[in-house]
Amino acid sequence: MKTGNETLRIGILSFAHMHAESYGRALTAMPGVELMGIADDDTDRGRDAAQRHGVRFYPSYPALLADKPDGVAICAENARHAALTIMAAEAGAHVICEKPLATTIADGQAMLAACQSAGVILMTAFPMRFSAPVAEVKALLARGGLGRVHACTATNPGQMPARHRRWFVDKELAGGGAATDHTVHVADLLRWYLGCEVVEVYAQLNRIIHADAVEVETGGLLLLTFADGAFASIDCSWSRPLVHTTWGGVTLELVGEAGVVTVNAFKQTITAHGERSGKASAIYWGSDADQAMIAEFIAAVREGRQPLVTGYDGYKAMEIALAAYRSAAIGQPVRLPLG
Amino acid sequence: MRVGIVGAGVMGGIHAAGWLATPAQVAGFRDIVEGRAQDRAARFGGQVYDSLTALVRDVDVVDVCTPTDVHYEIVMAAIAAGKHVVCEKPLARSVEQGLEMIAASRAAGIKLLVGQVVRFFPEYAAAKAAVDRGVIGKPAVLRLARCVSQPRKATDNWFVDFRRSGGVVLDLMVHDFDYARWVAGEVTTAYAKTLGVARPEAAVDHALAILTHASGAITHVEGSWAFPSGFYTAFELAGSDGLLVFDSERSSPVRFLRHRRPEETVPEVPLPAHPLLESQYTTEIKAFYATLDHDAALRVSATDGLAAVQIALAVIESAQTGRAIRIEPLPIGDLRLGEALA
Repeated sequence: MKTGNETLRIGILSFAHMHAESYGRALTAMPGVELMGIADDDTDRGRDAAQRHGVRFYPSYPALLADKPDGVAICAENARHAALTIMAAEAGAHVICEKPLATTIADGQAMLAACQSAGVILMTAFPMRFSAPVAEVKALLARGGLGRVHACTATNPGQMPARHRRWFVDKELAGGGAATDHTVHVADLLRWYLGCEVVEVYAQLNRIIHADAVEVETGGLLLLTFADGAFASIDCSWSRPLVHTTWGGVTLELVGEAGVVTVNAFKQTITAHGERSGKASAIYWGSDADQAMIAEFIAAVREGRQPLVTGYDGYKAMEIALAAYRSAAIGQPVRLPLG
Repeated sequence: MRVGIVGAGVMGGIHAAGWLATPAQVAGFRDIVEGRAQDRAARFGGQVYDSLTALVRDVDVVDVCTPTDVHYEIVMAAIAAGKHVVCEKPLARSVEQGLEMIAASRAAGIKLLVGQVVRFFPEYAAAKAAVDRGVIGKPAVLRLARCVSQPRKATDNWFVDFRRSGGVVLDLMVHDFDYARWVAGEVTTAYAKTLGVARPEAAVDHALAILTHASGAITHVEGSWAFPSGFYTAFELAGSDGLLVFDSERSSPVRFLRHRRPEETVPEVPLPAHPLLESQYTTEIKAFYATLDHDAALRVSATDGLAAVQIALAVIESAQTGRAIRIEPLPIGDLRLGEALA
């Protein structure tokens, strides 16, 4: 464990997920942290990224890990998270892994086990826990401001992401479509807010939006039941047209004993109307949740403690998304935990 | 055309105001609560009937604005007397009652009109028209929300008596079930959770439902009587080619923040407040008048009203059983008023 002023050396494994860009910037900007290198199985993509961030490019993941980073951020395609996480854990590197944690129960369990036996941290990249408006509501709930929470309506709609990264709509690499991509953020927030596990999942999925462009589901609605009887819905649809003012958003409405509270994680924007852009756009001015999340990973590594959001949290959120597919297939709710 | 209004509460008054904007005559009111019919008659004109029979005998059209659980008996009495009927939503407390009402109206050649008023709300009608113009392509994922405070009444608060009203699901969400079906077609399954079932001790009702349409579209419906105040409605209609978004708070054109006086009370039954040159309810009543008077085509049929009741009851059954409920086609054809009866 490194403490005090020692520089922490963090690498990034794969730039398949575009969030790697933001994590790279956050790591570079952070005092006491060195972005020690980038490895990517897509050599061109990795070289470009390394050049942009002014760091060394490693031609293979083992080569980067052989240089003994203190930790790595894994931003590979979803289905490749497990292999890289296990490889990193065996090399003694702490891990922050992009969401969803994995694409199968077996992979998720293997990741948790590998990190536990290697004694390294596994953090899931859920930046929404670090969103200032989202955290404000968590604080409200924690001090009992809403009383008992009865029901929640959560949404995480987005644009269909294939134009940024084609693998997002490849069932093998991504694990699925909108339900894989956009269930886990708010599923994690709901578990965090309610302090309670989901015991049942119902879902309906469809593929009407972008039906000609992709083979995975683009529309999805989930209804979750929690152990304490509270219930919550999630809209994970890629329902934002490509001409929409923003990529999408995260909203939650909570109905509780004392009333109703709503939070919109991305409402802190200025609306821009430019003659040149041809459409209105939103300029975000709220706090940088990615930066706060990376800072928490670094702090956890430095202090040798579990981070605010763990690999287990990622596993439980992924389990909800996987249950959604099972439910949609049979048309009835599915009990958790999944075997 | 002489119209008799049965049930002289909030909605009876709103309907009366609507009828006054048509050539029809408000013949009078009937209410089982002493004094209520007198109040309405004093305000809107017409007489006070001391029995349902007397009202039905004296009018051309019976307008039913009573609690839901007595719609059936009043509508059947009107049909038996050969009088046309306007019936507030929800059409009936059970599917069986609704089927009987429709069958009786058809057998008697009576027009049975149901007050699914949201079809006459300009924001909802505009969105439906946009969908029909192809603005969003094929409907895919719909979100419909209707969130208000629990209805309060000084006496006899039938709204909160589940056996009478069907709770928030049948009384309030029935609007959105009808709208979902209008926009995305027949509903084939429903799954839902309600606070009334999950935590009856909460003493307020709130429900979330997921509907599946035969078209493949899916709809999220949120209905609440658990909001402290206001009348919040919202919809999002996402389709293959676009998205329509409405939020009552974001589109509210007037904002007036006023200190409440100590003696002031809030209204018993929350109603939407958006300034319009003609009330949505008057728009609806005018359409009813045109159908009653000269068989004008109407955008909502009794079968539509019953289909919305059927969805609501499936939603309630799902919340009670924890299972997704399959919705079978109603065993009646859909006769569009003004088309079929013309």
